Amino acid sequence: MTDLFERAASGEEVRVDYTAIERTLADMWRGEGDEHAVTRAALWNVVAHTSTGEHHTHASETLSKSAAAVPQRTIIVRADPDAASELSSWISANCHLGGEGKRVCSEEIAIVAGGERVSRVPPLVNALLIPDMPVAMWWVGDLPHENAEYVQTLLDPVDRLIVDSVHFNDPADLGIVKRVADDTATAAADLNWIRLEEWRTATASVFDPPEMREKIRAVKGVRIVASVEDETYFGERIASLFFASWLMAQSDHRVETTFDLQKGERRGLIRVELDLGDSKATIERDPVRCVLSTNVDGRTSLPDAVTRSQLKGIDELIVRVLKQPNSDRMLPKILPLALELAQKQK
Amino acid sequence: MSIVAPTVEPNPLREGLEQERVPDASCLVIFGASGDLTHRKLLPALYSLAHDGLLPAGQTIIGFARPDYTDEAFRMDIREACNKYARTRPVDDAVWDSFAKGLFYVQGDFSQPEAYNRLNRKLKECDETRGTGGRRIYYLAVPPQFFPTISELLGAEHMVTDPERGGPYTRVIIEKPFGRDLQTAKELNRVAVTTFRERQVFRIDHYLGKETVQNLLVLRFANGIFEPFWNRQYIDHVQLTVAESIGVEKRGGYFDTAGITRDIIQNHMLQLLSLVAMEPPVAFDADAVRDEKVKVLRALREFPRGREEEFAVRGQYTEGSVSGEHAPGYREEESVKADSRTETFSALKVFVDNWRWADVPFYIRAGKRLPKRVTDISIHFRPAPYPLFKKLPGVQTQPNVLAIRIQPDEGIALKFDSKVPGPTVRTAPVTMEFRYATSFGAEPPEAYERLLLETMLGDSTLFARRDEVETAWAWLDPLLRTWESDSRPPKPYSAGSWGPQEADALIERDGRKWRRP
Repeated sequence: MTDLFERAASGEEVRVDYTAIERTLADMWRGEGDEHAVTRAALWNVVAHTSTGEHHTHASETLSKSAAAVPQRTIIVRADPDAASELSSWISANCHLGGEGKRVCSEEIAIVAGGERVSRVPPLVNALLIPDMPVAMWWVGDLPHENAEYVQTLLDPVDRLIVDSVHFNDPADLGIVKRVADDTATAAADLNWIRLEEWRTATASVFDPPEMREKIRAVKGVRIVASVEDETYFGERIASLFFASWLMAQSDHRVETTFDLQKGERRGLIRVELDLGDSKATIERDPVRCVLSTNVDGRTSLPDAVTRSQLKGIDELIVRVLKQPNSDRMLPKILPLALELAQKQK
Repeated sequence: MSIVAPTVEPNPLREGLEQERVPDASCLVIFGASGDLTHRKLLPALYSLAHDGLLPAGQTIIGFARPDYTDEAFRMDIREACNKYARTRPVDDAVWDSFAKGLFYVQGDFSQPEAYNRLNRKLKECDETRGTGGRRIYYLAVPPQFFPTISELLGAEHMVTDPERGGPYTRVIIEKPFGRDLQTAKELNRVAVTTFRERQVFRIDHYLGKETVQNLLVLRFANGIFEPFWNRQYIDHVQLTVAESIGVEKRGGYFDTAGITRDIIQNHMLQLLSLVAMEPPVAFDADAVRDEKVKVLRALREFPRGREEEFAVRGQYTEGSVSGEHAPGYREEESVKADSRTETFSALKVFVDNWRWADVPFYIRAGKRLPKRVTDISIHFRPAPYPLFKKLPGVQTQPNVLAIRIQPDEGIALKFDSKVPGPTVRTAPVTMEFRYATSFGAEPPEAYERLLLETMLGDSTLFARRDEVETAWAWLDPLLRTWESDSRPPKPYSAGSWGPQEADALIERDGRKWRRP
């Protein structure tokens, strides 16, 4: 086993010249083949784009966890045009124990660019992508509204753009995601939308019984109660907007919507009430039992049901995106409605 | 009065979710609910489905067996079983509370009509309280001799309905063995269709619920590169191995009347062989896939009368050691006759007489007390047509092998020759590997989870059809009769070895060797 590999696998970031990244990675893996003690694996190229040291550390920690579930070549970029001019790179290895006690490892490359050298990042990242393997780009933080050429070049080889709209400070950010989804070959994925998956599952389960199916189009109103840290921040409202938009898009009719934002410690939806005319359906989060429970009562009554609702870390949400073999076809469908609702609220 | 099954559109709120189709709530009745299969496999699988949110609200499970249990005692018993055997263990309290609300027990003797009356009352009560709408699934986790009685009484007590006759669905799941020969299989099937229609019958072969077995279809028919050379022109031979390191455990009584050929080859291995050899189906649906599998079974060449030994070897393990532990001989096992002639190992050379596979041998072997537990399929390709490097010193090329590991450590490996770096031309075999665990991380669902869900959804693609079962028996029956009339004992092999020497000779006569899986 090479010394370089042991250093990289122990968590040390090994500084390398950016012109020699691939060569150094090849050196790192050389010698592993005979021993069969380490399996090198990758299913995705995952590029995290950050602009601060804090985001860079967060992205590195998050993706090293997600690499255990979805092996990937991780490339973390920190690009700050306002910083001093530099272009530096490091390599490390993310390893975990796989079956039969073997170590499964994947590579992580860190690139830090400042000043005018930021413009060199897109071609450098492009050269480091493993061929014939899909590319995901996780944009950490708010989306850039300027420097369109830089963003466009970066996104050019990207199959999936991952954002977390909970950080968006303006409806225009949703507009950027919509434009990417509509006008480019890059599919959009939003972690804030992924967080709603269990709510969608629980809500869908209300309408699974054949006798409930026709009631989807009879939904008259919906009240969405969400817990937020700061009710004035746009990103905090997006989960509720997405839920309402999804319900309208899938039920194919406009629904009277009430948003109720409550200050609380854990962000996210707390309760959804559906007015079905002759009955009422409630989907509610039970944080102690970690489930969403559904209740339908009125003229129609169904057995209560639960959907597991574990608090998911960013790494788990990213894994969820990477494990979807096809891009999310629902997000492009609901984005226009969500934008419309956001504009109305403004 | 019959309940008319309504035709409903798919739930639009399911669009884009991981599970786009969720079955309608039904009552699943497990006959033999006090048994091992229920505790180790069925209820843990159902709990895991509930845990993953794949069961509909109102799904109801009723255990039906002779021992006296209350609902509460049954639930406690099952919770313990789920904690031991469920893929998603330990049991999650919230999921369990919801799951247990739909779990009931009815005590009864399978041969007593009153027991069915009690069961029927419970079923109707659940229709009222849990929205199961008259939909029924009967899982017969009982020995096959009970099937005629259960089937007859279900019919007599009007507990079977069919959407084509204006009622909600009833489905019945039958466990192997589907008979012990062609005659008994036909009799079982005849009994089944007096009460049920063929499309209501789900014959479970848990191998078909395994991810890697299903991946055989994906490997062959979702990739463009394999199918063009998946034929006699490029393939030299195929090997299939199902090896178990354990002996007969507590199944000695049953196994001694069956043998490994009936227990493993007639069902699991012929299913694997069908999937490897079948033509592309016209659609991925139950009948199209099974039509093609049956064609393979129909094309199996009969064993030539009087020359069976050239094509089939049966063995029986003697004392030895497996994984460093002492293992008794088969005849010393519990409930096994001291002079038993039952085979615990079987190796066959099989031909599929059709255009694609003419004269390509399929070597299949299954055995107990072999060195390790492994199920493996290997496709051995013909050597390169012209040995370009043969005259160079240090060059010994080897045929390519595509190995598909069904269990454990599921995956696919391709062996090919590569140049050894250096100034001279030397070659060495290298392996390109794909492993499920490495690439996809998460543990795949248990075979029973998939198969139970498919039954609820009414998709029988992964279940054996009547003609599949009968065609397999029709092919194997003459060989089994020859063996039964042979007074000689099976060839002995030491526990912990790869079977009797005669099994090696079977393949080595053709200039080939068993692959070490």
